[in-house]
Amino acid sequence: MTFKSLLLVGGALLTGTAASAGGYQVTLAGIKNNGMGGVGVGLSLDQAAMFYNPGALAMVKERGVQLGANATLARQAFRAENGSVQRELQNNTTTPFSLFAGFGPSEGKFRAGIAVYTPFGNKLQYADGWEGRFALTQIDLKAIYIQPTFSFAVTDKLSIGAGLTYLALGSVNLQRDIPAQNADGQFGSIELDGEAERKFGFNAGVFFKPSEKLSVGISYRSKIDAQVKDGDVTFRNLSATVAPRFQATKFAATLPLPATTSIGIGVMPTEKLTIGLDVNFVEWSAYKNLTFDFNAPVNGSPTSTSKRFYEDALTFRIGGQYQVTSGLTVRAGGAYDNSPVKDGYITPETPDSDRVTGTLGASYKFGEKFGVDLSTQFVNLKKRTQTQDELLSNGTTDRVAGTYKTSVVVPGIGLNYTF
Amino acid sequence: MKNYSLKRTLPALGLLGLGLAGCQPELEEPTSNKGTADFTKYVAVGNSLTAGFMDGGLYREGQLSSYPNLLAMQMAKAGGGAFVQPLFSEAQSNGSGYLKLTGFTATGSPITASVTTNLALRAGATAARPLYTKFTEPVNNLGVPGIRMSDIETAGYGSVQGNPYFERITPDASPTQTYRQRVAASQPTFFTFWLGNNDVLGYATSGGAGAGITSNTVFTTLANGILDDLTAGGAKGVVATIPDVTNIPFFTTVGPTLRATLTAGNVPGIVVTTGTFSTTPGTPATRKTIATTAIRDANGNGNQLFTLTAAPYLGLLGRTNNGKAWRDVYGQVRGALPPAVSLSVFLAIQGVDTTQAFGVSPGNPIPSTLVLDDVEQTTVRTATTAFNAALTTKATAKNLAIFDANAFFSRVAANGVVSNTVTNTAAYISGNLFSLDGVHPTPRGYAIIANEMIKVINTKYGSTLQPVDPNASRGVLLP
Repeated sequence: MTFKSLLLVGGALLTGTAASAGGYQVTLAGIKNNGMGGVGVGLSLDQAAMFYNPGALAMVKERGVQLGANATLARQAFRAENGSVQRELQNNTTTPFSLFAGFGPSEGKFRAGIAVYTPFGNKLQYADGWEGRFALTQIDLKAIYIQPTFSFAVTDKLSIGAGLTYLALGSVNLQRDIPAQNADGQFGSIELDGEAERKFGFNAGVFFKPSEKLSVGISYRSKIDAQVKDGDVTFRNLSATVAPRFQATKFAATLPLPATTSIGIGVMPTEKLTIGLDVNFVEWSAYKNLTFDFNAPVNGSPTSTSKRFYEDALTFRIGGQYQVTSGLTVRAGGAYDNSPVKDGYITPETPDSDRVTGTLGASYKFGEKFGVDLSTQFVNLKKRTQTQDELLSNGTTDRVAGTYKTSVVVPGIGLNYTF
Repeated sequence: MKNYSLKRTLPALGLLGLGLAGCQPELEEPTSNKGTADFTKYVAVGNSLTAGFMDGGLYREGQLSSYPNLLAMQMAKAGGGAFVQPLFSEAQSNGSGYLKLTGFTATGSPITASVTTNLALRAGATAARPLYTKFTEPVNNLGVPGIRMSDIETAGYGSVQGNPYFERITPDASPTQTYRQRVAASQPTFFTFWLGNNDVLGYATSGGAGAGITSNTVFTTLANGILDDLTAGGAKGVVATIPDVTNIPFFTTVGPTLRATLTAGNVPGIVVTTGTFSTTPGTPATRKTIATTAIRDANGNGNQLFTLTAAPYLGLLGRTNNGKAWRDVYGQVRGALPPAVSLSVFLAIQGVDTTQAFGVSPGNPIPSTLVLDDVEQTTVRTATTAFNAALTTKATAKNLAIFDANAFFSRVAANGVVSNTVTNTAAYISGNLFSLDGVHPTPRGYAIIANEMIKVINTKYGSTLQPVDPNASRGVLLP
């Protein structure tokens, strides 16, 4: 397979993303890393280091390109406090993807690279007529970053690196019903659809490998405020008498894509075994409110604000790989994510909860240059309940009281080519 | 060797992924237990609110939306038996007829029309004395629109001369059976009791001009008697209190607009009559001047309330040679007047000269029927408080659950009530809770009431009846 055709595969995958880390963050970059619990900050496995720790890229010996694609299969159950029917998501599959290409002189001290990945995203479609329909019926949130990266080995034990993170595509589509019924009893609905302004952020990292058996890393990815300035507002099924109160055609909103700081350790007890430990710290507290500004009043108000008050959150990851034969490597790992969403602040667009993830993975090399990576993540969100009393005391009655339980399976496949 | 490993690994991973992807989480369905209550035979005792009356009428949709029907459905999951309502048939689904919203005027006032098709009127019945298609099977929902506590021992209340809604469900063999006897014969294992609203409501909606308020002594005696009957067989149940009617849209909708209009026109005040109309020539109806600033606005400032029925007349304020309001009042009361009292005689007795400016000159005041003034409100509140004291005293003595509807509706008037992300308020039409008559709930409102009842039942009897989703029931449909 040539480099060109690999890119075409990537193009076909530019269709969607999904949630599978705390909040609406998606840590699915590098199929090898996926197979080992999402660790990578303290490792220099391959070109995916650009995502985990740009400082480690200079320590990746091979130059190469790798493409990865995941399918996220989310299954959710919800029971409202008022209403005893179990609601389920309409099953859909989203496909976060990643592309990493690293270049540089074979014996030089630096590596350059380009990465394309989807660090945030969320797609959910609720069952028709569900209890939270006036908060949300469906959401599709996408963010694609392009990251040119440069990494330099200061010594043969210490390397540093940085990348420009470019929010190349950010889009949001939110739909919900309006609690006003027309003469036929149909509820109105509103759809918000917008593209974010393109913006730059950065990431940077330091990687230190004091011995063959130990490596450590630290990295930082800056916050980008995804800003929609001129999104479209569409109303449907409004009765003629109510329509004059819903005249908006445009909206503006800002969604923070928060900063992440990570530290990681790699341990290589033997040449065949690699173990990684990572801790991610995501500054979710930047997400205080979700405010929509409309160009005309919507039911009497030109703005709509919903409280979020996220808390900063930590994720702990552990994973390892073992080289079984010269061609086959197997992986396993796990992660524990603390939800940034406080009790009584759970929204249907991010029905988040602390989550436990288990992962499996394998790679197989066909000859010297080409390899296939496989991974599967099993994400289990803890059952989580919020009561109407909590919503009332928090002033967050714009969301629905009840119990959520979600599980996600994320199979992934990657192709890599070294040169 | 290498190929062998790959062949085994790939399908295994694929199968694992697909297998687990199909894992739909399940949340256990909450259980409905009866606790110490017995829902085998649930009987609902009450008035229009219990019957499912809404939009100024009793019709099939309202009956199906009634809080007793919703309660019975939840009770059925905890051992509750069949619950029969005297439903109008599909062919006569519009029952008594009702109000429908057809649009809004340019200034935003609602326009309603009466639904007059598919009614359940019996042959020979007239609009003035309606009689409805009978429903003679035993019923569990004994809600009778219009019934007052003071009516429950009136023999013949279910006859053709009585209340047509009670007549409809009264067996032909016992036309003089009183409501209390009917209730006593129902022998429930569980009941809800929400009676007495009309003992103050009729006075209030007529602006203090019409039906009097039942005396507290009569009310207490009758309430105690019927509750003794209901509990004689050991039945458990819920007693609901009477809401302060001055919080309902019937009294809170028109005033704010009127006040704003008068303020904009620099009109300092208006003239109304208060109390009942005069029957003594030479003693005109009592006048009262209401300052514009005393009219209650949307924020609750001011203490003079205007009824929803005043809306069509308020545009006539200040006009001379306009006697529409008084002609309509005469049309309403003439049946009770001696035939000799013509319109001109009636106006002369009240001291009304319709050539003067309507509503601003003492000679052509706004009729009392359109205003519940501060003194009349006090009368209403005093009676409501006394009735509620009687009801709670008896309920406590009988160890029954109490649904404090008065406290609940006060909270709703102050803060609204949220149902699954939707804020419902006591506002007319837009508030979702009150139907087009401004007095009775919408299906949404009835569902919220059912949930409040479920709360007190569960608390009192240790049951775990599950609440309903109020949003599954409609608010006001907008054309």
